[in-house]
Amino acid sequence: MTEAPLISVENLTRLYTVGEEEVRALDGVSFDVQRGEWVAVVGQSGSGKSTLMNLIGALDTPTSGSYRINGHDVEKLSDDELADLRNNEIGFVFQTFQLLSRSTALANVELPLVYRGVSRKERRELAVKALESVGLANRMHHRPNELSGGQRQRVAIARALVGSPSLLLADEPTGNLDSATGEEIIRLFGELNRHGHTILLVTHEPRLAARCPRAIRLSDGKVVADGPGAEVASLGAPPAPPPHAGAAA
Amino acid sequence: MKAFLDNLELALSTLRGNPLRSLLTLLGIVIGAATVVGMMALVEGFRISVNKDLEWFGAGGFQVQKIPMTFGHVDRAKYAKRPDLTREQGEALRALPHVRYVSIEAYHQGRPERIATRERATQPNVSVGGGLPDYAPANAVNIADGRFFTDTDIAMGGRVAVIGADVADVLFPGGHAVGKEIRIRSAPFTVVGVAERRGSTLGGSRDAWVTIPLDTYYQVLGRVTDHHIAIQATAAEDFQKAQDEVIARLRAIRGLRGIQENDFELFSNETMTGTFNQFAAVVAAATFAVTLLALVVGGIGVMNIMLVSVAERTREIGVRMALGARRRRILSQFVIEAVTLSLLGGILGVLIGAGGAIMAREIWDIPSSVPAWAVLLSLLSASGAGVVFGIYPAIRASRLDPVEAMRTE
Repeated sequence: MTEAPLISVENLTRLYTVGEEEVRALDGVSFDVQRGEWVAVVGQSGSGKSTLMNLIGALDTPTSGSYRINGHDVEKLSDDELADLRNNEIGFVFQTFQLLSRSTALANVELPLVYRGVSRKERRELAVKALESVGLANRMHHRPNELSGGQRQRVAIARALVGSPSLLLADEPTGNLDSATGEEIIRLFGELNRHGHTILLVTHEPRLAARCPRAIRLSDGKVVADGPGAEVASLGAPPAPPPHAGAAA
Repeated sequence: MKAFLDNLELALSTLRGNPLRSLLTLLGIVIGAATVVGMMALVEGFRISVNKDLEWFGAGGFQVQKIPMTFGHVDRAKYAKRPDLTREQGEALRALPHVRYVSIEAYHQGRPERIATRERATQPNVSVGGGLPDYAPANAVNIADGRFFTDTDIAMGGRVAVIGADVADVLFPGGHAVGKEIRIRSAPFTVVGVAERRGSTLGGSRDAWVTIPLDTYYQVLGRVTDHHIAIQATAAEDFQKAQDEVIARLRAIRGLRGIQENDFELFSNETMTGTFNQFAAVVAAATFAVTLLALVVGGIGVMNIMLVSVAERTREIGVRMALGARRRRILSQFVIEAVTLSLLGGILGVLIGAGGAIMAREIWDIPSSVPAWAVLLSLLSASGAGVVFGIYPAIRASRLDPVEAMRTE
């Protein structure tokens, strides 16, 4: 096994200055992600997982340390090169979907290809295919406000997939969905992973991390655990509520 | 190009999303462009109609005067010192080979007269001139009724007059002016001819005139030493030769030599048209400058709406950046949106302005003609305003941080 990892994070540190004070949002984080892995990054709010997600998503640059994805040294890239990297290598799925409200599902899914300079005809074909793959073939011309939350997130996933990125980066993708719909989305991720997509899922829910083959736990900007999802999830999890708690409340 | 089309499509969809707001914002640009096009159409229509009417002389005709004829202010004092154009100098031009008619005319400039019959009188606005039989051919005067006076009329005492159509209308509303008597300063004259109507130029009628024989004019209205000399060349193509001969002869008679400037002025239809067109161009330029201000004010409206638009769409901008839009792409998106917005306003304004101009012409008979350059210039200025006033909001948009931007609601 000599193939280079898809993602290689080494000693990644990100400082913020808040007023006079320096905040160490990320403090020497290191890990690798191989192609085809499904990894959860779990931690409570303030643990640094959003900062890590922004760095891995090339939306932000580290204060120190290095980050490689698919052979690109991200910390060395210019603003335009970062934009191109996001466009080519990363498919984002956000908690709040982040769809353009005035555009149809199809136009939303086409958007990454617009910035890649793909011809009108080709991007239409690719977008249709991506929407079909998430089961929305019959909702293509609907606007986001005409879709349910689950459908919206599917559109967002189709948008993330359409450019065949090397990494799907999902930030609390079920956070705005009811549990049944969230379950559907997680199953969709599982399916995508089985088809070879590399997925990094950022979440504060240990329950979700437990579903992933691997999880990385962050706390105070540091990696505190890295291993099989079920194990890592149970580590810092709050004690399970006693079975009768609901009835007593 | 593809990127441009995508941006254009985006801009149009934004406008469709907010049609009323877009329209209100564009009102300034619309009004600006409509004013530019409307005003320019009026100036241009006026210019064309004047040019059409500016047939002061017949083909191959021109006029010599001591004082230049221009539109607007003339410094008369400056030219008054020049020696008069005498009747003898005029007579001397008759011998020139390419000169056919020489009309020596006397006027008291700026002193119109009241013409009367026993029953009626005109307003004191009739221009009375003294002339010779050559007056008619040299001034392209056509007679509608009767005839122009002849040498025989002059030999028989010269109490004859040819009157313009306006004078005939007022004094002889039933027609039949020929053979009737009119009075100029209570001196009686017999009407021998009524001229064809010439219409009006620059808002003034060209039919309020009476011409009487030159010697009679001296007797009745006072001696005049400076004359207007209207000349008709032997043929239209001899026009230039005739002018050269007249200039050479007058310079010789008036004792000018070498590099001394002419102390007289030549006018033809061409020089009159040229002078008027210069005047019209100045009016057009001034009008344009003023109306352009409206476009600039409209541009401020565009800037305002673009700033609002950027603020409203902060999250969208963040999403676009996250999905791989480079900053320049965001910049051009908003600039193109501003330009599209302004250009649409410009087009709307041009349509309104041109429509108004055409309506003015068709309904109220006001001469107007929409000049292509005014349309082009309005659209260019509107787009220019879009770029100038769209660039700042666009820069603001392109500098947003994608993470921060996506967090806004």
